[in-house]
Amino acid sequence: MIPEAHTLIELQHVTRRFMLPQGEVTVIENISFKAMEGEFISIVGPSGAGKSTLLRMMNGLLPPSEGAVLYNGREQRGINLDTAMVFQNFGLLPWLTVSQNIELGLEARSKDVVYRRSQVNRYITKVGLEGYEEAYPRELSGGMKQRVGLARALAVEPSLLLMDEPFSSLDVLTSINLRNELLDIWSDRENVVNTMIMVTHNIEEAIELSDRILILSNRPGKIAGELRIDLPRPRRKRDPLFSEYVDRVFSLLA
Amino acid sequence: MKHAALPEIGISQILGLVELLVGKGGREDIYKLAGELSMELGETLTVIKAAEMLGLVHTPGGDVVVEDFGNKVVDASITDRKDLIREKLEHFPLFKAIRDYLSSQEETEVTREEMLEKLAELIPNEDAEASFSSIVNWGRYSELFGYNDDSQTFYLGESRAE
Ligand SMILES: Nc1ncnc2c1ncn2[C@@H]1O[C@H](COP(=O)(O)OP(=O)(O)OP(=O)(O)O)[C@@H](O)[C@H]1O
Ligand SMILES: [Mg+2]
Repeated sequence: MIPEAHTLIELQHVTRRFMLPQGEVTVIENISFKAMEGEFISIVGPSGAGKSTLLRMMNGLLPPSEGAVLYNGREQRGINLDTAMVFQNFGLLPWLTVSQNIELGLEARSKDVVYRRSQVNRYITKVGLEGYEEAYPRELSGGMKQRVGLARALAVEPSLLLMDEPFSSLDVLTSINLRNELLDIWSDRENVVNTMIMVTHNIEEAIELSDRILILSNRPGKIAGELRIDLPRPRRKRDPLFSEYVDRVFSLLA
Repeated sequence: MKHAALPEIGISQILGLVELLVGKGGREDIYKLAGELSMELGETLTVIKAAEMLGLVHTPGGDVVVEDFGNKVVDASITDRKDLIREKLEHFPLFKAIRDYLSSQEETEVTREEMLEKLAELIPNEDAEASFSSIVNWGRYSELFGYNDDSQTFYLGESRAE
């Protein structure tokens, strides 16, 4: 880590409870961690551990029950427009075209139609969607749909990109392709976003992409461990060091 | 003239296959690959065949091997990849035939129905609907053709003079 690294987002003793008919449940308990600017972080953990809840607190959609989320050192209240989210099921509106879907996130941020259109075109190019502008989601493969989801998130030029299992509804080959393209986007200095936090069930995927992995335990979700991945990219599963990391994540999950 | 159909596999899967192979040193046994990917052999072969049609890989014996062109595509940026694939598709006889057909139209566009009829003529043994959707997909990716589902018109993409 570079010594003067800047903390982009910080969770301080965050706890989240939900009221259910049978009483209150604690989903996230006393989680603290920092994400440095420029980092790629993955969050892994069993189903129901509170991973999506954690992401929603990071973009301000959901307030913590206790503790605080600090963004650039300031306590975050309400939705953080400097973040954008990519979803497992793409989150596209079926009655809108590719261009219109990408423009959606911009509408909340700018009234300038000319600016919005130019951002849409710029990010259509970035993710390789030129030619698909007027297509509808139903006409697209899963891979192309997730490119739309990614372009929509990137078009608002967030400083922090949050992704909730972005590759898990894609077939195995498509997800290989999109992971590589995401790394290209992450390392492209022309892009504003250089900090990414991704939730995944796929441990190999987390090791392939991340600088650091947070491992959550279940009920309530707590940090069971943290692992820094010190391997140069591109990372290969055949590399014995890669397998060692897989074993270490599994042992922390167990 | 009769034409071979286009691969009915999307570009993302094809690129994923080539990227995977490059990561393995450029060569793998097909049967082993299918096992490792937990894909059916038939499905794996369909993706490999599509990659082969685009000149990205070849298949000596039971292996699949990345071609120089495949390495070039994998190394290229997201936008350059599209240009490289477009150059390939431009030389596909079926793409040429469709372009000639659209060029012969006053507005270089036709209705979906007209295009389906033309495809039944160009690739007689294939399901025209399936051919149509794969041509729309490849046409969009390469930007050689476009399709608007609201107006149901299929049209010639903007030419890119080089
Ligand atoms: N708005 C809510 N109201 C009540 N309970 C909720 C709410 N949101 C989440 N929960 C509960 O919190 C727990 C954690 O949910 P969350 O979706 O964050 O888990 P997850 O780790 O993302 O799981 P998965 O891997 O299945 O996506 C679950 O038991 C869920 O039912
Ligand atoms: Mg979840």
